[in-house]
Amino acid sequence: MPNPVCVDVRDVHKSFKRGIETVDVLNGLNLQVQENEFVSLMGPSGSGKTTLLNLIAGLDRPTSGEVIVQGERVSSMTETQLAAWRTRSVGFVFQFYNLLSVLTAYRNVELPLLLLPLSAAERKKQVMTALDIVGLSDRVNHRPGQLSGGQQQRVGIARAIVTDPALLVADEPTGALDAKSADDILDLLGELRKSLKKTIIIVTHDPRAAARADREIHLDKGQLVDAR
Amino acid sequence: MKLLFLIFENIRRNLIRTTLTGLGTMMMVLVVTLVFTVLSALDRATTEKQTNLKAIVTEKWQIPSMMPYSYAKALSDGGANPDDPDAARPEDSMSWGFFVGSTEENPAKRSFENLFFAFIMEPEKARTMLDEVDMLSDEEAAPLLAAIQKMKDVPNGVIVGQERLEKMKKRVGDRITVFGRNYRDMDLELEIVGTFPKEPARYADSSVISRDYFNRQLDAYQRTHNNKPHPMAEKTLGLVWLRLKNRKAFNKVSEQILTSPSFTSPSVKIETSSTGIGGFLEAWRDVIWGMRTLMAPACMLVLSLVISNAISISVRERQMEFAVMKVLGFRPGQIEMIVLAEALIIGVSFGFLSAAMTYGVVNGYMGGLPFRIAFFPKFSVPTDALWWGPAMGALTALAGSYGPARSARHVKVSDVFARVT
Repeated sequence: MPNPVCVDVRDVHKSFKRGIETVDVLNGLNLQVQENEFVSLMGPSGSGKTTLLNLIAGLDRPTSGEVIVQGERVSSMTETQLAAWRTRSVGFVFQFYNLLSVLTAYRNVELPLLLLPLSAAERKKQVMTALDIVGLSDRVNHRPGQLSGGQQQRVGIARAIVTDPALLVADEPTGALDAKSADDILDLLGELRKSLKKTIIIVTHDPRAAARADREIHLDKGQLVDAR
Repeated sequence: MKLLFLIFENIRRNLIRTTLTGLGTMMMVLVVTLVFTVLSALDRATTEKQTNLKAIVTEKWQIPSMMPYSYAKALSDGGANPDDPDAARPEDSMSWGFFVGSTEENPAKRSFENLFFAFIMEPEKARTMLDEVDMLSDEEAAPLLAAIQKMKDVPNGVIVGQERLEKMKKRVGDRITVFGRNYRDMDLELEIVGTFPKEPARYADSSVISRDYFNRQLDAYQRTHNNKPHPMAEKTLGLVWLRLKNRKAFNKVSEQILTSPSFTSPSVKIETSSTGIGGFLEAWRDVIWGMRTLMAPACMLVLSLVISNAISISVRERQMEFAVMKVLGFRPGQIEMIVLAEALIIGVSFGFLSAAMTYGVVNGYMGGLPFRIAFFPKFSVPTDALWWGPAMGALTALAGSYGPARSARHVKVSDVFARVT
């Protein structure tokens, strides 16, 4: 019996205004991702991968259609509801890590927890657990500038999982890393999926990264064209 | 509160920019504090009191007022009929004449440095009637009281403001000869018996000589000039101060003085001290107006722009960070608050630092702000400045950072990460 649906994208259209021109990025797209599934989104530039990822992560709203994540209708939430939902339910991993340069690894990972009603002791426990999972418990007081690219991405992943969200989305998580570091990060994502039962969706151009997923989804001109 | 560390880390992020913004804040707060120091002192002096008010009696038609000394006693009684026990009488009074001269005999060498200005008055009134001196505690006024006491034994004693004493390069106990300027050919041999306290600073350049001693000098002049009185002999009373219980007492005393046949040649007028001082300040009206309505607001505006510029640059540099924070779940309002708080901390802390340093340097080191307006030679920075500074810093920081904070609030995540792939 298949796992319950974690992400349900229903007939989603998304268009942007560029001057007087309207650009249709997603055209009636439908997608379902099961819980604990590892999905990769591939496609040429301009195919709408990141736009789809942003819609799933509640960073943008569809022009029409619905995005439902774990039973919650993300596409119709207000800005404030979305902010609270993101903290709780989704972890985001960026291509260029996007850590706050003035904060230590510990503080960067702690950041989302500051939005939750947790005591300092509880926050510390969760931060240390997350850093331990990504293998950086000995780098807590290092600032991003003192860490390698791979280590920074690990901190980014720790920040994404520290609130224990069910869904992890990653936009080109290995795009800025060398092959060895990229493999390590993909191993880590696989481990998170296996041991912590996370649902993972990554956008990637890298066929090797895509091959690690349970399912590869290809987009072109805002529509699904192929799936493995 | 949990976000405080993030705010402080952001302030520390670019220490040079924060320091420069802080220094700009300090400079502007310094200027505005000094302007407010002068304005607040003038406002206090010209604010009408309802109780324990002072009135000034002067010659009606002439400035400077020069009344005969024979008016002094009756005016000091508030023009009360001595036979009328129900007449309104002042609680205290003080008569002033003015002696202007120089410690330099040679007119060609006379300068501000050797200028001598003295109130001709009853010395003991310096404690009870002089503005602001009358507010000092006994402890603060102790040296002045000792000097007043000494004047009883030394008729030609003079109490000198501390700054004037320094300018004359004299010390307490020294003797000086003052060559009269408004009382020509009257030279006074004086002995310095004490000084005014440092506070209030407005008397730092002034002196007090005894009315009895001065009157004896006028008599001496007459004796040595073929029994001819000094040309100014009948014009030695400049003004009379009256302390009155309330407005009602003021109105009654006004009526007594203005209807009395004793004060008709010359005629006199009576007004509250605040009105009198206000009238005196008319000559500086444009300067005061400029300070109040141009200088202070201009400084505040410039300060807002300085802060706005610095925070705008910082916000522009951190667009990506704000987008990331939104991704992590920060609400727009929280991001706006973080930016406002950063500006607020800079404004308040540097504003306080500036005000505290201004307070310490001006009052402690300089002995007051030397900005001569009317008979106010110096102004002390009031203790209130210690909250003006941070308040100004806060106000301008909030005004200056409002725009950048709104911009940070409205950072659109999908625009910042705008890559359609």
